Amino acid sequence: MTNLPPPRPGGRPPATDTQNDPAPDPIIDTQNEALDDGVNRCPQCGATEIRLRPSAGMLICLFCRYEWSEARLDETISNGDLGALSGTTIGSGASDIDTGADSLITMKCAGCGAEVVVNTAEQMGARCHWCRHVLTVNEQVPNGAVPDAVLPFEITHDDAIARIDRFAGKRRMFADRAFLRDFSPENVVGVYMPYMVVDGNASADVVGHGEVETRRYTRGSGDDKKTYYDADVYQVQRHVDFTVDDLTIESSAERANMNASANTNNVINTILPFDTENAVKWNASYLTGFTSEKRDQDVDHLQPELEDQLLSIARSQVESSVDRYDRGVRWERERLDVHGTRWLAMYLPVWLYSHHHDSGGKGMVHYIAVNGRTGEVMGSVPVSHRRLLVGALTAGTFIEGIVIAILAAS
Amino acid sequence: MTIAILLTDLASSTATFAAADDGSATPWLLALGPAGAGAVYFGLWRYYRNTHKSHDFERETRIAAQPATGHDAKVNEVTGTRKTRIDGENRTDHRQRVQRFD
Repeated sequence: MTNLPPPRPGGRPPATDTQNDPAPDPIIDTQNEALDDGVNRCPQCGATEIRLRPSAGMLICLFCRYEWSEARLDETISNGDLGALSGTTIGSGASDIDTGADSLITMKCAGCGAEVVVNTAEQMGARCHWCRHVLTVNEQVPNGAVPDAVLPFEITHDDAIARIDRFAGKRRMFADRAFLRDFSPENVVGVYMPYMVVDGNASADVVGHGEVETRRYTRGSGDDKKTYYDADVYQVQRHVDFTVDDLTIESSAERANMNASANTNNVINTILPFDTENAVKWNASYLTGFTSEKRDQDVDHLQPELEDQLLSIARSQVESSVDRYDRGVRWERERLDVHGTRWLAMYLPVWLYSHHHDSGGKGMVHYIAVNGRTGEVMGSVPVSHRRLLVGALTAGTFIEGIVIAILAAS
Repeated sequence: MTIAILLTDLASSTATFAAADDGSATPWLLALGPAGAGAVYFGLWRYYRNTHKSHDFERETRIAAQPATGHDAKVNEVTGTRKTRIDGENRTDHRQRVQRFD
């Protein structure tokens, strides 16, 4: 258990004047200076009963009904010209996680003076057990629990239930019976998932071969008639300069593991993107009534994934420039130069319904996820293989019946 | 509705094929039933499990790109091939990584 460390942007060492030391990555201070750890009061009446009202995307005081919102992060950090972005810039909430930092934080209640412990691995606020004030964690402790920004839920709980119900309703016939029996969409949970939102300035080169058909002809006759092709082969090289704005990457190692044979994390990935430009400065009150998952990946851990995505984007960007190769292109080598990146840690809102499914002694959690901003739904529904087999055999028998009938008639 | 259209198309093409057939295509036509069953099983399984889905970041991210530049040089000719496409085509498979170079 630790008392609050003095606020310092992230776990990175402070800059020094020593000439031999490499220059540290520039850090954007995103600490919400208006808030401290502990009691944070309604600006109008001073009550601490504050939570998000998703339908409005605003914080609301449950005592006086006053509504307000934190400033959008975009208003405090200028995007600037992404083409001029150089080096690695990191938001203070995206700084390296100090593995020695404790998840437990002790706060002194400003209402009564009692000491209240919050486990930031599980929640970002607690109620003082003596005076009932709500205490929240707002300072950027270097354990990955407080990001640079949060994107509040806009899709309500009822709306999420309806969307999940519709999604699963279309998949009832061949669904596993245990899934249907246990299906209760009202158990959907609002979760703030940790992501790194990255702006990038990059160049890429790709080299390969392409073929253009020059002649098509047939040889032989009857059953031996075959089509042949002649083609010109070209060596193809392309270069593209590009910038990306708010590329969103999972910053939880568990969620980033998208092995479809072992988990269904890909469905959570599919509901991206979010309107991250509307993310607001951190205020733990946005999390009241929701759960959150703590970031456990640093910028260095996510560089390979970023490079992979930038290369994919580059390949996508050059695709139309090789349309003339009507027999296709085989890219063989590729190069990426990342000129500059800017990383911000964000909590993004996801409504998550989960079902643990056992099959052949192997368990898997199936998710149905709803984007808490756009309402996009994606999910995995466990199937009843027996029903699926019966359905497939019925369709196959029907098709075979048509074929046999036609053959008999001809 | 879609299934009805597919079945109508299947019946129509099978009838055309069968009418022009001298008997050698019959085993292929008879294989349509098992192949259809397999396709239905796989298609439904994917519809339920969505294992192939992921964020389409190449299109759904705000990207500003300069026009692609580069050069093309003819290096060879292929004659008399029966392949309809270049070997290892990956033009649209953006996520397939190839050898990195510096």
